[in-house]
Amino acid sequence: MISIYLRKINIWYLSSFLISIAVAIPIVTVFSSFFDSTSNYSDIIKNTFLYDYLLNSFSLLFGVLFLTFIIGVSSAYLVSFYKFTGSNFFKWALILSFAVPAYIYAYSLTAFFENYGTAFTILKNLFGEGDYNSKIPKFDGMIGAIVAISFSLFGYVYVLTRASFHYQSQNLIELGKNLGFNKQKSFFKIILPSARPAIVAGLSLVAMETLSDFGSVSFFGISTLTTGIYNAWISFDDLALANQLSFYLLIFILGLFVLENLSRKKAQYHSPTRGGFKKKALTTLHGYKALLAFSFCFSIFFISFLFPVLQMLYWTIIFPKHLIDLDLISLFSNTIILVFLSSFVLISFAFISNYGNRLSRSKFLEILTTFSISGYAIPGIILAVAFITFISWFDKNIVSFFDIKNIKSIFIGSILGLVIVYFIRFYSLASNGIKSGYLKISYSIDESAYLLGYSKFKTFKNIHIPYLKNSILLIGILISIEVIKELPITLIMRPFNFETFATQAYIYASQDLLEAAAAPSLFLILIASFFILITSRYILKD
Amino acid sequence: MPKNFLEIENVTFAASDKNKVNNVSLNIENEGDIICLLGPSGIGKTTILRTIAGLEKIQSGKISLKNKTISSKDVHVEPENRNISLAFQDNSLFPHYNVLQNIQFGAERNKKKKKDLTINEVIKFLHLDHVKDKFPHQISSGEAQRAALARALLSKPDLLLLDEPLSNVDQSFKEEIQVKLKQVLTDLKITTIIVTHDSYEAFYLGSKCGIILDSQLKQFDDPYNVYHFPNSVEVVNFLNRGILVPAKVTGENSLENKDLGTINGNFTKHYPKGSDVQLLLQPEDLEHDDQSNLKLEVVDRKFRGTNFIYTLKTGSNLLIPVFVHSHHMHQHEVDEKFGIKRPINIDHIVCF
Repeated sequence: MISIYLRKINIWYLSSFLISIAVAIPIVTVFSSFFDSTSNYSDIIKNTFLYDYLLNSFSLLFGVLFLTFIIGVSSAYLVSFYKFTGSNFFKWALILSFAVPAYIYAYSLTAFFENYGTAFTILKNLFGEGDYNSKIPKFDGMIGAIVAISFSLFGYVYVLTRASFHYQSQNLIELGKNLGFNKQKSFFKIILPSARPAIVAGLSLVAMETLSDFGSVSFFGISTLTTGIYNAWISFDDLALANQLSFYLLIFILGLFVLENLSRKKAQYHSPTRGGFKKKALTTLHGYKALLAFSFCFSIFFISFLFPVLQMLYWTIIFPKHLIDLDLISLFSNTIILVFLSSFVLISFAFISNYGNRLSRSKFLEILTTFSISGYAIPGIILAVAFITFISWFDKNIVSFFDIKNIKSIFIGSILGLVIVYFIRFYSLASNGIKSGYLKISYSIDESAYLLGYSKFKTFKNIHIPYLKNSILLIGILISIEVIKELPITLIMRPFNFETFATQAYIYASQDLLEAAAAPSLFLILIASFFILITSRYILKD
Repeated sequence: MPKNFLEIENVTFAASDKNKVNNVSLNIENEGDIICLLGPSGIGKTTILRTIAGLEKIQSGKISLKNKTISSKDVHVEPENRNISLAFQDNSLFPHYNVLQNIQFGAERNKKKKKDLTINEVIKFLHLDHVKDKFPHQISSGEAQRAALARALLSKPDLLLLDEPLSNVDQSFKEEIQVKLKQVLTDLKITTIIVTHDSYEAFYLGSKCGIILDSQLKQFDDPYNVYHFPNSVEVVNFLNRGILVPAKVTGENSLENKDLGTINGNFTKHYPKGSDVQLLLQPEDLEHDDQSNLKLEVVDRKFRGTNFIYTLKTGSNLLIPVFVHSHHMHQHEVDEKFGIKRPINIDHIVCF
């Protein structure tokens, strides 16, 4: 038996194995440090703040899930089943919300509704002086965080639900009519249940992102598990406690991850078959119904995208000094360097690993890969902490043993370390993308190439890469969008004096200089929007 | 020292525990020979081809090509180094290249070998002219199959393996392509193994046919012998061209059936007088004769263009198929009586 396994091992198998192991290290580190001793601070935390952390995390989670469900499903339903003025525009315009990270949304929210903020100025200009501050609602604290995160994340629910609605067969709708169902009954009995796996998948992604959010909760001063981890590490220098808190969060997130995986499996059950799929006939809306549908979609588009963009643009214009002070070239080049390096490394390694799995067809490798890509479910802050923990351990126990100078400076506070943690964080995005591309290539294609005299490498280079070039481009752009928006990893791992648009915006905002945060935030949104527009065709298709 | 072009010695072909063909030994004696493997779906025919091509490994036995071991327990020459081409049954064209580019991949292999066949010739004889600029997803499965066949042919392999090469090809082209394919393979001396479940295709293309049943190579012989001298009841049932009727051996060259009476002919094997045997009766063994006093009831009639196949019921409820030329003067309807010429003479008597 052993010889059969040994036969499978070749350079591709080994590469795939090593990549999966490398990606899995932070997860293992978090688990293994659970029993490490911690400082006195841990007892204080456990007796006092832990309850708050958990309660706030749950409150935030349920608030965001509720809001994203309502916004995501209703907007997806309207653009998928009805034709009205602007419906085709909203199909793709609604995904632009992906370009606005929750923390920038939070800045906009505060900037607009705060005392003497933008809302106040608008009212003053319209109606003259008055005591408007008391009448303007305040979106701060938990409510602010729920609104900010919901409007920046509802896109996950929207995209997946819309895809599910899009592929719902007309036969299914006609079946409802045949059974005498009215529109409401059809929606609740047929349309919604058959899109359930997609909705659950979208909500699971929202849940994972919410639990790992750092920028907006720290801005609103809410203590969640994520901010607790950051404080344990930064304020009290207690890595072990940070890891223990990470462990709690990880268990919760892994539960959601399993749920999401299970729902995806069911989603395949609902995929259309060639014979049974009949394209839907859209219902054209007229009169007040068309106006209502338009108003609803426009409101969501306005609130989720135009509002933060206009707010940031307004401040950038009225405070030009901050724009002039901004080292735009350096911020832009730093952001782009990270985007290109990360995309290149992620795609290359994901490609090699997937090809290794494909060649070996090893169950063991498959399981290892699945385990390692769960890194996506782990908040960036945990990954960064786990990586530093691992490097410290490695430096102390392995490197010093060989009497080599410490390697911490190579991996911590360097672009290399930053790209490695990005790699671990976004590996599942790259790996799943390449994997779904590979699923479209039957094994007999590879075998045909071998039988035409192509080696494994030549098959990879001449057949697979050209075939998957569109998938590679799409994955590269999706990674770019994530890297541009990413905050906690960049904040923790970046070299000294190395700023991106995201970290620059955060630094200003954390110093209460929201008007200065506007310009980098605006550039971040514009670059991310540019990438989203390039990929919108693919995102909406899948 | 092996002298055959291809030698397969005691190899068990197994893609999985279910899909297995045990302990196969067969040889292809000369370069340019064509053999066909016949068997029901899912029996492991494709696994045999994949193993010979090097896509599956073997745990026992040995496969040698041109006196060189290519597969054994300890040796496994990688598929890209075997110079063996396999045209898969399903679509294995590279999806991002058009038909012509796909075919050119074949021509690029063995560039140094003398080209006796050009791309244009292959495209023409396989009727691919109108699709050569199209991509695989734009053509029919039959066209894709022919394109894969063209690519494999042009690669000038030492051994060509064809897995159901014409199964999706339109009936209107099929016979023409079969004729041309045989001509090309013979002219270019391309040694070929063809897997099919179409016995007519196998009998036409192959100089030898192997019948795979019950995880075994049951018979490996020339097509005439496989048809006329099947070596087991399983082969008879698989070919489905005749039935077995009970009979008693009555002499050196005769036997007796309760319903049909005396049957004369040459036994292919010796059976002692008085033995109870199962006689193989094939549709062409019995002759129609309206004047005969041996009348059987017609229970079915199939028109097959060149002939009718009547299914006749005997007194013991046996159902016997009989061929009648389709230009026969008159037809018999179901439930009518149908005369069989007596005495019944069969050229060779096959019994089990």
